[in-house]
Amino acid sequence: MYGWTGNILRVNLSTKTHKKEPFSEEFAHKWVGGRGFACKILYDEVMPGTDPLGPDNKLIVALGPIAGIPAPNTGKCVVAAKSPLTGFYGDGNLGTRVSEHLRKAGYDAMIVEGKADRPTLIYVEDDKVEFLPADSIWGQGSYAANDYIYGKYGAGVGVLNIGQGGENLNRYAIIRSLEGRAGGRPGMGAVMGSKLLKAIVVKGTHPIPQADPAAMKKLGFGDLKKVHEIDKETGWSRQSTTGVLQFCNEVAGLPVRNFRKTHHPEAWHIDGERLNNARVATYGCPNCTMRCGITIHDDQGHESELDYENIGLLGSNLEIFDLPQVGCLNYLCDEYGLDTMSAGCVLSFYADAIDQGAVAGDFKFGDAMRAKQLLRMAALREGPIGNLLADGTLRMARAFGNNSLAYAMQVKGLEVAAYNCKFIPGQALAYGVSPIGAHHREAWIITFEIKHTTRESYGPEKAAKVIELQRIRGGMFEFLVACRFPWIELGWSLDNYPKYFNTITSLNWTLDDMWKTADRIYGMIKLNYLREFPNATREDDYPPAVWFDPANADTDGPIAGKVLERDKYDSLLQHYYDQRGYDNRGIPTKATLAKLGLEAEALAAEKFAALT
Amino acid sequence: MKIKIKLIGPLIYEAGFSEKDIEVPAGTTAGAILHLLAIPEQRPKIVTRNGNAVALDQVLADGDRIAVSPIYSGG
Repeated sequence: MYGWTGNILRVNLSTKTHKKEPFSEEFAHKWVGGRGFACKILYDEVMPGTDPLGPDNKLIVALGPIAGIPAPNTGKCVVAAKSPLTGFYGDGNLGTRVSEHLRKAGYDAMIVEGKADRPTLIYVEDDKVEFLPADSIWGQGSYAANDYIYGKYGAGVGVLNIGQGGENLNRYAIIRSLEGRAGGRPGMGAVMGSKLLKAIVVKGTHPIPQADPAAMKKLGFGDLKKVHEIDKETGWSRQSTTGVLQFCNEVAGLPVRNFRKTHHPEAWHIDGERLNNARVATYGCPNCTMRCGITIHDDQGHESELDYENIGLLGSNLEIFDLPQVGCLNYLCDEYGLDTMSAGCVLSFYADAIDQGAVAGDFKFGDAMRAKQLLRMAALREGPIGNLLADGTLRMARAFGNNSLAYAMQVKGLEVAAYNCKFIPGQALAYGVSPIGAHHREAWIITFEIKHTTRESYGPEKAAKVIELQRIRGGMFEFLVACRFPWIELGWSLDNYPKYFNTITSLNWTLDDMWKTADRIYGMIKLNYLREFPNATREDDYPPAVWFDPANADTDGPIAGKVLERDKYDSLLQHYYDQRGYDNRGIPTKATLAKLGLEAEALAAEKFAALT
Repeated sequence: MKIKIKLIGPLIYEAGFSEKDIEVPAGTTAGAILHLLAIPEQRPKIVTRNGNAVALDQVLADGDRIAVSPIYSGG
């Protein structure tokens, strides 16, 4: 078997033991890696009802056949667990040297079980696994912890660590790497914290098994150079993802004031042009030649690496139009190890709820100083307010009552990313049917919707586009594992990816094979959801109610007077279900599950909930 | 008539400005504005008029805001 090391590393923090477990070729071909491995392992090993913050939850670090091998842009890994934020399967990806080192150490994935009896650092070097005390860095931020690890093991090792947010079980705590990368939005950092696991450090020294290493080396390095040339030619990385802010502001898709407004005349203060002018450094992931991490100095002099989601949700959404202040909020999230997107939505929801009279409080939109204090309180769970903010918008809305759930900007408990879908029906669908909650990673169709369809349409073409993008973005890139940016931002052909895969594995897959695997993985995650929530309904796939509320319509600009229409959204949702072969609850039918090769998993699900 | 042009992302550096007003004759189309800005036809882009997509043969009106953006894919 080429392309896979053929082994999973299982470590148990309770017993301080580890095991190298081989997996079969059939398993490799069916689930490929990354998200595929993670969702299958968690389905088989973490039973419904398991406390996400208890010792029975498992943290998965998973890689795919092209991960870590030089090619565009393969320096990523998937982290997954049962989510403490959403209550079912959650995952994320992040750039890290772990992708290369874990594979070179001889593993395609790592399963972390149990709970340590004291703060612990797991050190993996090839066959050696050590459980080391991490008391000296427990309580420290992610940057300081990273510095300590680099000081001890050298800067070239692979690192996954958490900040104080994860230690204190903030439900949207993420995992950090490489002093700037972060991933695992649905609380993967809190799962690490619940296990008293401060960091995983990996060093691998063996070659990754490949069918034709010489051919792959030539292909991979050649393509990295070509991607770099395209980036230079198009100028994409002058602003990287942050050019999107002005686009969203132009088409009334920017989150402003907890998504109440869709555009703002002051948005230019925090746009990509201003960011590029303030740039002091640029960072990127391993195996990347189109580095997107534009870094500025925040108002305290810290380096802060910003992308669009950060400035959209910590900036315009909070009506903070001061770049160094937004930079500081972003820096604090990184230091504490919090998801910037959920943190931005939590703060904006809190300000909105106070505005609406749903709760008493002293936080107002535009108040950067108080926002910084609240972030710290949320990360450390300081006092009743910090404790409340640490639980995310869904639980906050339940605590506030007063119809505040309508404007808690989340789906299935995961906060929405920085695209305001007040009148962008297809993107609202993309949030609704994202398998892990409102993540933009799975599908982003705003340009397609505005350029190639009428914005008012709720037709089947939008559902089809969401599925097409889910297969690519949430599917192929997440199981191979690689970054989607060369494709989505520079137009790097999708055909390159089966080429890499086949050169590495000696298989002969086409893009259609990729899409079949992607559909299987989506079906697997939906079964996981059903098993945790046997009373699942199609309402679970609806975006926040405020986007349907005529009282929330813009009073000026491109979509003045318009909001989403509930009946029409429901018909769009039905188009999606029909095209996917899902039932009226959004769960794959038995026939669909059989087609996806998920018969055994369907039987396991039926012990907990009925299938149709 | 007066048209406001807004350029987004890397297009700013190619044109040398991000936003400006220009005077054009009545009957000017969205496509003519792109020609004026020397943005190649084959370059992937989206053009909006007052926040919504516009066909390149559409005739503009006084006071219109035309934005030209690369095709972003949402990070």
